Amino acid sequence: MTRISMRSVSKYFDGGDTVANYELDMEVDDGEFVVFLGPSGCGKTTALRMIAGLEDPSEGEIYFDDDRVDGTPPADRNVAMVFQNYALYPHMTVRENIEYPLKVRGVPPEERDERVAQVADLLHIEDQMGSDPGEISGGQRQRTSLARAIVREPSVFLLDEPLSNLDAKLRLEMRSELKRIQNELGITTVYVTHNQEEAMSMGDKIVVLNDGTIRQVADPEELYERPRTTWVAKFIGSPPMNLFEGENRDGRVRLAEGNALPMPAETSSQTVSVGVRPEDIDVSTEAPDTDWTVPGTVKTVEPLGEYVLVNVEVGGSVVNVKVPHTDATAGDPIHLTFDPTDAYLYDGDGELVA
Amino acid sequence: MSVESYLEDRLDRDVDGEKLTAILVFMLPGLTLFGIFSVGPMLYSAVGSFFTWDGFTIGQFAGFETWIATLNDDAIINWDNLLALEYPMGALPQNIIWMVVHVPLSTFLGLGLALLFADLRGRSVLRSMVFLAFTTPTVVIGLVLLFVYDPQAGIFNELLRVIGLEGQVRNWTQEPQIAIYALIAGGVWVQTGFSMLLYSSALAGIDPALLESARVDGAGRFRRFKDIIWPLVKPVTAVVVIMSMIWVIRIFAIVYAAGGPSGGPGGAFSVLGLEVYQAAFSVPIEYSKAMVVALIELVIALPMAWYIASMD
Repeated sequence: MTRISMRSVSKYFDGGDTVANYELDMEVDDGEFVVFLGPSGCGKTTALRMIAGLEDPSEGEIYFDDDRVDGTPPADRNVAMVFQNYALYPHMTVRENIEYPLKVRGVPPEERDERVAQVADLLHIEDQMGSDPGEISGGQRQRTSLARAIVREPSVFLLDEPLSNLDAKLRLEMRSELKRIQNELGITTVYVTHNQEEAMSMGDKIVVLNDGTIRQVADPEELYERPRTTWVAKFIGSPPMNLFEGENRDGRVRLAEGNALPMPAETSSQTVSVGVRPEDIDVSTEAPDTDWTVPGTVKTVEPLGEYVLVNVEVGGSVVNVKVPHTDATAGDPIHLTFDPTDAYLYDGDGELVA
Repeated sequence: MSVESYLEDRLDRDVDGEKLTAILVFMLPGLTLFGIFSVGPMLYSAVGSFFTWDGFTIGQFAGFETWIATLNDDAIINWDNLLALEYPMGALPQNIIWMVVHVPLSTFLGLGLALLFADLRGRSVLRSMVFLAFTTPTVVIGLVLLFVYDPQAGIFNELLRVIGLEGQVRNWTQEPQIAIYALIAGGVWVQTGFSMLLYSSALAGIDPALLESARVDGAGRFRRFKDIIWPLVKPVTAVVVIMSMIWVIRIFAIVYAAGGPSGGPGGAFSVLGLEVYQAAFSVPIEYSKAMVVALIELVIALPMAWYIASMD
């Protein structure tokens, strides 16, 4: 199987005016499921296309195991790719679509039939084999496109936002399906998405990208538990982490609202920010008997069934809080508290301190 | 469903009288124009071709006399030369040869240029340059051909001299056996612009992900063309082919400008349109012959027009 390494890979467009990727350094281990996660325009798709060979890096090197592959055409890399819009050949039937990569590679017809039947079975699309792509549902198209990618037994499997065109229910279904197939086949997989739920649920490892550079590489749990920068902290989680501006007063954190937190500030940076996940904050309408609180005003209360989302205005910005239930209504003055051990401290450059 | 049950089904349905009237009223202007300018002249020619004509006055019923005479007229079909494969073969075979050579050439050239220009910087300028020929009046194209092929000052002969093919230098439009091909080249130049334009938009309509997917699947340049591009532009190919066939069957001005009313030396590149013009407007006026030739043209063009019109 295959290990992918990217070494200082950069990609520029328009003669250098547009930087799509800048000095990407990362490894995808053999059989690993890696997710490129980032907002639109962050360069994740370009990075994937460079691995596929559809784009050549402007600088840097890409290796599959020990072979340098940048510069080799996609056909010679034994990669398979699933496109966002599935890219099924509209003039071929489902069977012909799945068969096409085998046909191009000169696999004999008997073996072709056998392998097509196998993947059709794996993806439960036996009944659609004679249909045109235009006649089948979105989910079936997705399966066909996966089948076409898998049938070749590629060494690297690349997926570019494959679930974004499906409705919510189908997306959940395909998510576990994809994970199952990847587990079964053990193919090295790179998956691009802007949907962090997908990323968290499927990835063995997540590569967070923004502005064309890698912000953090971590497994899902670590990414959630220890976001390395304020940018990642604000990107991960729904709603994302709340950040309170503060300053470093003799090694203690003092919030802009005037409260000193019982929290050490082990940094030389003068300004700091404190990050707290919405589920780690408590709200109370009466002042609690702790020596500090963060006072605010309730803006909106959204009862979502599973929890209640309270949006609180604190010093001009909005803090999201998830609580099981609350009596607070819009306009109420409210006190926020949290356990300082649940909070993350970031220095003035937005880097995680502790 | 059998034809009978289909008809019964149609008849059983209640015909909404008011709706029918409304439909007819709205169709009346269109049908009137269509009748006066299309169906009328066709019927008029069809009937007229079986009569003798004195100038533009209808005379006696003549049966198939004009038809037989026309099909044995050397200007229309020169049977002896046709069998010997020598020009002039007559306007009908020459027109068909024109079609056979012209249509594939202009179609593939158009597709080739469209593919070539697809990812090129400045493609709109290049496309305009190629398409310019199609917008030029065909009479002008014919005149330009005369300049290009001029035995003394023509650029084509000069080009041959420059690349060392002095032996090939000749009077291209006056040599009976090759003159028609010299003119076809001009026609191809015109039609290539048209087919290139249609193919360009067809190519632009192909999802780039399909071609990328084919690349990842392992298809090289040729296979991508053969397996993906060609099948996807097929409907456009049908339009391009039929439109150029119709264009060739109607061709007139290029031939007239380059070879005069006789259609080149001994009519070596005469075409049907030219013969219609000759028969109807030059002395002696043979109106019924003009009708026969026009009907032959129509019989060739009508199925193609029908095919184009019934395409989805």
